[in-house]
Amino acid sequence: MLARVAENLYWMARYLERAEDTARLINAATMMLMDMPRGASFGWEDLLRVVGLDEDFHQHYDEASETAVMSFLIQDERNPSSIFACVRHARENTRTFREVLPRESWEWVNELYLYTSTHKSSALDRRKRIEVLTEIIRRRQAVVGLLSGTMSRDEAFQFMRLGRNIERADMTTRVLDVSYAINLPFQDSQYHDLIWMSVLQALSAHQMYRRHVSVHAKGHKVLAFLLNDIQFPRSVRHCLHEIQFALDELPGVEPMRRLQGMLNLVDGADYRVLAKNGLHEFCDDIQARLADLNTVIGETYFRAAHPQKMSQSLFNLV
Amino acid sequence: MKIDCGSYPLMGGYDELLEAPGKPRDGAGGLCDYFAELPADELEARHHAVDAAIMAAGITFTVYSEAGNIDRAWPFDVVPRIIDKLEWDHIEAGLKQRLKALNCFIDDIYHAQTIVRDGVFPAEVLADSKNFRAACVGANPPFGVWAHICGTDLVRDGDGTVYVLEDNLRVPSGVSYMLENRQLMKRLFPELFARYDVLPVDDYTAQLYDTLAALSPREDERPEIAVLTPGVFNSAYFEHSYLAQQMGAHLVEGPDLVVLDDDCVYMKTIEGLTRLDVIYRRIDDDFIDPEVFRADSALGVPGLMRAWKAGKVGIANAPGAGVADDKVVYAYVPEMIRYYLGEDAILPNVPSYLCMNEADREYVLANLDKLVVKPANESGGYGMLVGPKSTAEEQAIFADLIRANPRNYMAQPTLSLSTVPTLCDGAIEPRHVDLRPFILQARDMYVTHGGLTRVALRRGSLVVNSSQGGGSKDTWIIQGDASC
Repeated sequence: MLARVAENLYWMARYLERAEDTARLINAATMMLMDMPRGASFGWEDLLRVVGLDEDFHQHYDEASETAVMSFLIQDERNPSSIFACVRHARENTRTFREVLPRESWEWVNELYLYTSTHKSSALDRRKRIEVLTEIIRRRQAVVGLLSGTMSRDEAFQFMRLGRNIERADMTTRVLDVSYAINLPFQDSQYHDLIWMSVLQALSAHQMYRRHVSVHAKGHKVLAFLLNDIQFPRSVRHCLHEIQFALDELPGVEPMRRLQGMLNLVDGADYRVLAKNGLHEFCDDIQARLADLNTVIGETYFRAAHPQKMSQSLFNLV
Repeated sequence: MKIDCGSYPLMGGYDELLEAPGKPRDGAGGLCDYFAELPADELEARHHAVDAAIMAAGITFTVYSEAGNIDRAWPFDVVPRIIDKLEWDHIEAGLKQRLKALNCFIDDIYHAQTIVRDGVFPAEVLADSKNFRAACVGANPPFGVWAHICGTDLVRDGDGTVYVLEDNLRVPSGVSYMLENRQLMKRLFPELFARYDVLPVDDYTAQLYDTLAALSPREDERPEIAVLTPGVFNSAYFEHSYLAQQMGAHLVEGPDLVVLDDDCVYMKTIEGLTRLDVIYRRIDDDFIDPEVFRADSALGVPGLMRAWKAGKVGIANAPGAGVADDKVVYAYVPEMIRYYLGEDAILPNVPSYLCMNEADREYVLANLDKLVVKPANESGGYGMLVGPKSTAEEQAIFADLIRANPRNYMAQPTLSLSTVPTLCDGAIEPRHVDLRPFILQARDMYVTHGGLTRVALRRGSLVVNSSQGGGSKDTWIIQGDASC
């Protein structure tokens, strides 16, 4: 398959995954803030830090008010990671390879774009927000389902699988970092549980966690679940396995080597220790390794499409 | 609002569906009945559904003057145009005859030029041809065929005669819209298809695939075929990706390809280089190979002409095929048909005045207010003078242009293009149409069932080009009348 097309597919999947993950994260944060005890310091500024956009935000806005942060994360095209910018990029990318995807996928991505474009500003309002973001999630999931049900597991599919899972693993580590961002005004295990439960909710993981692990959200158990569970599709380990399966179908050895390093890392971690300290550094490490894997994938597969330079500068992963 | 055949304001010319108010043509009765029975709000609802479907499908066309906007929804009208199968058979035979002769002509022009030596085709027309490519002299594409995909524009005059208006042999577009229009109609008016035997159109992409595959230099293998597009900002990009998708071909841009020392063309893939066998290029000759043609072209592939002449890659349409896509050369097609095939032309040309001939030129200059003047090498309706709609100033400008470069201009009488009922702001009114069928030739020949009917959406306008804001309709070739 064409190197240029492979690269566009990879990024299209990343853009769409990022749009959905951001929508889930905002929905969870909106709910969570209502549960927070007065005096807890988590706020919209922290949400920006979680997604790594606090500096970008302050280039355009002064105060991290709810409206400003929501606007920046949902509809602001100056933020290349805003939901709308991601959907728009995904759609523009999809336009360039309609020939490799099942025909309806372009229509559905286009509809997702049209919906997001029309409704993005109403999502700024807290009352409409969850409804609009949920619809964006639903429409994106429809695209995923369509591809899953109608597309051969060819190279095109594997590149989307790579993009989707690298992005998702990255997002999972970022949301885990929320716990680091929150400083409670008092030590109360009831609220610690609440924070971990919120982390699970932000990743749509609470139900599966309850079913397969525990009704209580204990730090080390949540970490083990979100970092090292094989079965839950948003756990880092699961994403790495998906990446592994995709790489199995593609030529090249270097990406697999980098991946193995990450698998060893999540496999060998002591989650009881991590729950007490070092989580932030651990998450940073995984994010850096994912960025490295992204670079290696680019060098291995997309280089032919870039005679001079090899980068997609829109996303800064580190 | 309803489509009421009785109050339909015929414009005096030929209407494709109605002979007279309240009197549908043979075959159109069922359609008129259907639209008459359809409640107004239902028609309106479906009209909106069409628009929504077009937006969702992203069926777009770019108008160059709308800079920066790469999304102009494809304007589609819900009332189909009907052509009886018997009449169509006649047209189809005429189209095949025409393309066959045109291909003989192109092959002759790049070899012995017997038609010039025999005095049938004037040497000076050839000498002044903008689209003659010296680099193609002596090339031998498979089957001696140069123009594999042709879009021929047909118009019907007031007396019902169908004329050939022009042959588009370079990179004719529109076929994807023909296919999309049928999809839209089937989605929105399924019950109409139960009443009529409409010949299907969706065979086209398979036929196109076979046409292209026949050009592959490696006969024993499944050919690697690619559509070469200038990129996402080209006005017909939707069509390029659509055709690639429908054929299971690659959609490539110039920088995706490279020609190596073995004269073969390769695609840059994730595994390195993969050989490409056939290119359906949607880029003008001028841009396909900077080593041979325009050196500043970033759209093309250096070395492509070398590969093609060495027979290592098939290119459709062949470079140089545009020599026959010229409005002056057009005037000689009936002669070509006689010369190469020994037959009379089945489909007539529109009477044409060639400004390079003194008598014709004097006539044209004296009648600029009545004629349509066209430059020889433009397409898309650019640079034309429509006499009856022009000002004295515009006529004076064209008079100067013609005197300065007579070879580059030809003129035709203003035909009263036929009309088809069209939904306009809630009312059904007649609008002028033309028809662009697509003809394929490689080992075999194929003609689409019908083609793309283009509509001039402004009242009284004769300009149907999509690049100038025209719309389109589904075109039905039908067997028998289903009205009763």
